[in-house]
Amino acid sequence: MLEIGTLLMSSGATTNRVRVTVNRVSEAFGYNTEMLITNRAITLALSHDGKQEFFNSLKRTSPHGVNFKIVSGISRMSWRVVEENWTISQIKSEITRLKALPPYPRLLVLALVSLSGAAFCRLFDGSYVEMLVAFFATFAGLFVRQESVKLEFNPYLCVFFASFTASMISGFFRKFGFGEGMEHAFTASVLFLVPGVPLINSFSDLIDGNILNGTVRGINGLMIAFAIALGLLGAMAIYRF
Amino acid sequence: MEYLFYLEKGIWFGLAALGFAILFNVPPRTILIVSILAAMGGVTRLYLVHSGASILMASLAGASLIGVLSIQASHNKHAPPLVFSIPAVIPMVPGVFAYQAILGLINLSTNPNAPDYTQILTGTISNGLNAIFILMALAVGVAVPMLITRKTSAKHIKIVKKGN
Repeated sequence: MLEIGTLLMSSGATTNRVRVTVNRVSEAFGYNTEMLITNRAITLALSHDGKQEFFNSLKRTSPHGVNFKIVSGISRMSWRVVEENWTISQIKSEITRLKALPPYPRLLVLALVSLSGAAFCRLFDGSYVEMLVAFFATFAGLFVRQESVKLEFNPYLCVFFASFTASMISGFFRKFGFGEGMEHAFTASVLFLVPGVPLINSFSDLIDGNILNGTVRGINGLMIAFAIALGLLGAMAIYRF
Repeated sequence: MEYLFYLEKGIWFGLAALGFAILFNVPPRTILIVSILAAMGGVTRLYLVHSGASILMASLAGASLIGVLSIQASHNKHAPPLVFSIPAVIPMVPGVFAYQAILGLINLSTNPNAPDYTQILTGTISNGLNAIFILMALAVGVAVPMLITRKTSAKHIKIVKKGN
């Protein structure tokens, strides 16, 4: 149970979704669950109607990145648990399977995210040359982010490195290459770091009444935004725009 | 000519969302829908802005469209609506406004004796407020449809599944 909850929380589900899903699974086994869900840990108490036994446990959530494959996989599994009367071992093997699901190949991720950087640039009415610059800046930025995540830097520092790299590259072209009008590439090159999931989840949590979790997520999003701005500022200070 | 313009922008919206979908590691079966949703929402916003609505209301409309459609999509594809709506709504993030606001803030703090100080000040405030409010509009547009349909949708799924 705890494993399900913490996995959901760390891969980007809203508080309410965690509660609903865990309840669904535990009811399938005839247990009542009460939970205290916070951003970094989940406390859970299981009880059975007819029995005196009571199970209590606490688990920390691991600070993983967003992974929607796990969110949708577990949500699907919880329905199948209810309908097909799964056993505990079946659930366990399904969870290990979901955890082991391979992410998209790294090159594909890099290429497509860079493409989306270029698309952003076009949406801001940039020219095709700017799109090319945005593509390469995003590529380098994301590469740096992946590498620094691997080296286990502080997550905000990773974002800072990425935004600094991306804006240094696009800023280079703006400063020396093509004169005025490269602003769009400069802006678009850091947009791939935008903390969309924390901010939108924060809002859903706040509306739901999970004020504490919503606030925590919102501040997390603001910190990321601040790190992006810091990277931009660093590049701008160096190039003296 | 008009249609071609919207079509082109729509494609770019779709591609931008595609990148984010991959970045967030969504299940492969949902990727296409994410792009289509993003294109529809983005084009809706562009159309409304061109026909005279404020960018704020247009963003809200675009995000709500994505939110409502993502619920429908989640029923068909058996994935939480969040998986569709978040990558789809991100291409609408007000990057330029935020950038201009930060630029303005730096200007304000570094040269307080500039002759056009008040002009920069008003520009910065307006850009910053626009950025914040558009972000909020996007979040509301995506979150509210999910909340409205939650109770009914859960029951609905149950009934359908039992029927099978």
